[in-house]
Amino acid sequence: MKMRRRIVITGMGAITPLGQSVDAMFDAQLEGRSGVAPISHFNARRFPTQIAAQASDFDLGRFIADPVRWKYTGLNSQFAAAAGQQALVHAGLLDLDAARVDRNRFGVYLGCGEGIQDFHNLMSLIARSYVVEERRVDAPTFVRDGLRELHARQEAEQELHTTPGHLAAHFGLWGPNFNCLTACAASSQAIGEAAEIIRHGDADLMLAGGTHSMIHPIGVTGFNRLTALSTRNDPPQKASRPFDLNRDGFVLGEGSGMLVLEELEHAKRRGAVIHAELTGYGSTADAFAVTDSHPEGRGAIACIAAALKDAHINPSDIGYINAHGTSTKVNDRVETLAIKEVFGEAAYRTPVSSSKSMLGHLIAAAGAVELITCVEALRRGALPPTINYETPDPECDLDYVPNTAREKRARHALSNSFGFGGQNISLVVSRFEE
Amino acid sequence: MAASSRRTVITGVGVLSPIGLDAATFWRSLREGRSGVRPIRAFDASALPVRFAGEIPEFTDAKNYVEKSQRKSLRMMARTIQLAVAAAQCAMNDGAVDKSKLVPERFGVEFGAGLIATELPELADAARVSTNCQPGRVDLEKWGSDGLEVIQPLWMLKYLPNMLACHVSILHDARGPNNSLTEGDAAGLLAMGEAYRILTRDQADFFLAGGAESKINPLSLVRQCLFEQLSRRNDAPEKACRPFDRNRDGLVLGEGAGVFALEELEHARKRGARIYAEVVGFGSAFSPELQGDGLARAVRSAMNEAGIGPEEVDHVNAHGLATKASDEWEAQNLQSVFGGSNTPVVAVKSSIGNLGAAGGPTELAASVLGLHHGLAPATLNYEEPDPACPVAVTAGAPRPATRPYVVKVSFTQMGQCGALVFRKWSSQ
Repeated sequence: MKMRRRIVITGMGAITPLGQSVDAMFDAQLEGRSGVAPISHFNARRFPTQIAAQASDFDLGRFIADPVRWKYTGLNSQFAAAAGQQALVHAGLLDLDAARVDRNRFGVYLGCGEGIQDFHNLMSLIARSYVVEERRVDAPTFVRDGLRELHARQEAEQELHTTPGHLAAHFGLWGPNFNCLTACAASSQAIGEAAEIIRHGDADLMLAGGTHSMIHPIGVTGFNRLTALSTRNDPPQKASRPFDLNRDGFVLGEGSGMLVLEELEHAKRRGAVIHAELTGYGSTADAFAVTDSHPEGRGAIACIAAALKDAHINPSDIGYINAHGTSTKVNDRVETLAIKEVFGEAAYRTPVSSSKSMLGHLIAAAGAVELITCVEALRRGALPPTINYETPDPECDLDYVPNTAREKRARHALSNSFGFGGQNISLVVSRFEE
Repeated sequence: MAASSRRTVITGVGVLSPIGLDAATFWRSLREGRSGVRPIRAFDASALPVRFAGEIPEFTDAKNYVEKSQRKSLRMMARTIQLAVAAAQCAMNDGAVDKSKLVPERFGVEFGAGLIATELPELADAARVSTNCQPGRVDLEKWGSDGLEVIQPLWMLKYLPNMLACHVSILHDARGPNNSLTEGDAAGLLAMGEAYRILTRDQADFFLAGGAESKINPLSLVRQCLFEQLSRRNDAPEKACRPFDRNRDGLVLGEGAGVFALEELEHARKRGARIYAEVVGFGSAFSPELQGDGLARAVRSAMNEAGIGPEEVDHVNAHGLATKASDEWEAQNLQSVFGGSNTPVVAVKSSIGNLGAAGGPTELAASVLGLHHGLAPATLNYEEPDPACPVAVTAGAPRPATRPYVVKVSFTQMGQCGALVFRKWSSQ
């Protein structure tokens, strides 16, 4: 077996609908609590979907002493700053000079969701400049009003690269800097590619993870038009029901998950606490359709298999699977199929649960928060449940850890993230052993 | 870190640019010193302070670049995505790639992409029914009950930045690793670098990698005018983009796409591919808000990987944004690496403008194609050197290439930097 640099996780941070720390988030998952409630970020009373899992009462000032840098940024950027701060503190790396860490060897890789559009102003601009009879926008009207009414700094902060730039500047991380937005797979992909950057020797540490906040009028509109969201508005806590026969779509969540990935020898040399090892990464594409996953899960099968192969373990070595488990009809069926295809009989002996049943779907941030959930599951010897599991679906017949958390000392965990458009990412995380 | 025996070569180039809709025309225009920057035609830009850009008015859609049976999917693609699809097909054609011989699971796609603005009429009905034309306020209950339903169901999918790579993967049955990098002006070059890394670590044998972007629409231009430093040279658009020139006054926007076929060397040899160049180094670093040496570090990292020194580099294909601050900082960084060798510097944006996520790959194509023809491209509008930009900019006509290596750099104004090194291919 060729010698390969090993990647360990030495810090984590999370801002989620179930709590604004890793501990709060994981404790809540073990208790089977739901973060879903009626939307309060905006008036969603007449939208088809009126519920979401919000990271409520979030104040960046509680995490970062002087958050001036983030004044004109959206929630997505602020969540990332808070979770990033937590992860660096957790890793003992807030002061790189004191930790004697070379900041040129410490990079950033995020799966960062887009910023928040100036919805009210923009729609108003469009309406006022639209010439109905000709079905076109009068550009000079739009331009004149737009230059006057849109806010320069707010618009600038919506550019997709600003969040990883802010993090790198604020925390002094001058190594490789990347950002991707492969929908629901983004932060898992960021973590996997960040690990490869360290493996290749281009960095010794990476702040990797993701962030997203789509609980706003245009985000909910977009997903509602795709009929991707659950419309079970009452009671909100029961809407996200992965693998349940009566599931009807996902529930939007928001937040950020951040991890410090570190080369093993580097971590040992500085006496870092090692929480887990990132042992496997698989990346494939369905190449099928932008609206649907491949009906037989060919991309998911290949990506799970690739991650296991990368980790040099067999399916039966996996003690826990944190599913993509969105609570859509198609994903849950196809993911179940894919797990069975790769795991064979072992699929029926491997607990599978979906954090999305409680957290909702954090879109670009989902992968990172769910990987952190896997790390905690390994560390604390407890698996979070899939809540709202009331009626089994014959096509989804695995052990989904229904409704109640379970004690189990697993050695390896698998986390799946399958993005809209067909990008598939699987990560394997393991108890650290020399 | 184990050295890999796998090597990456460039076997196809696809370019859609303001100076040509194919690689051959693109290169010919560069050789002849033509500019693609003109008054904007796509819409009535009369109310904008900046009324010119590098446009591709002849490109209306990617109909001629896809099979008849696939044309329906074009309706779900914004202009940016159609540019990506077109350039990807051009790269496949240029590389004479027989898709039936490719293993789908070993065929990856990497794109750099930016924010894609919605086409305004698509939200107009919903906006009208819910705003009562009051400035600044949407009646969200009206939007929810009456506005939402008049928006076409697949609206959101038309504008997601990952859809460049997704559509390309579907059209070409590319089932390998697939990523969409959203890192501003550095996105396209970083996408190529990541593809190079994935090929090296034996997770794919073939990649379509590059970037596409089109900001030439009212909403994007309003935004850019609000927060970017754009040149105001409306009276002489062709002279507006003046990288490193003493009288530069800001960046010029352009649209387009650059996509490469990147391939593992033995895979390319086995199918008798024509090889343009070999990718031999890649580096990435961060320099907070254009202070510090991030670009120099990325370049040195890439060159160390390539095992070369500055004296072996034919030219640096610069970012050359053409703003005062950016060019100054870039020149200082390049000077610290190449100053001693007086390595020539080329800035392709002078001909086409800033293509954003497409910039890195499209500008790289200028050097790949140039060296293929034995020439290094020249820079337009470099008329008066700026003492604050101590770089040896090649102006005037293209000059013969004298060395086999080229260093390409891209960066964002926030400080995210990428550097790629390639070596002209000579049969070995």
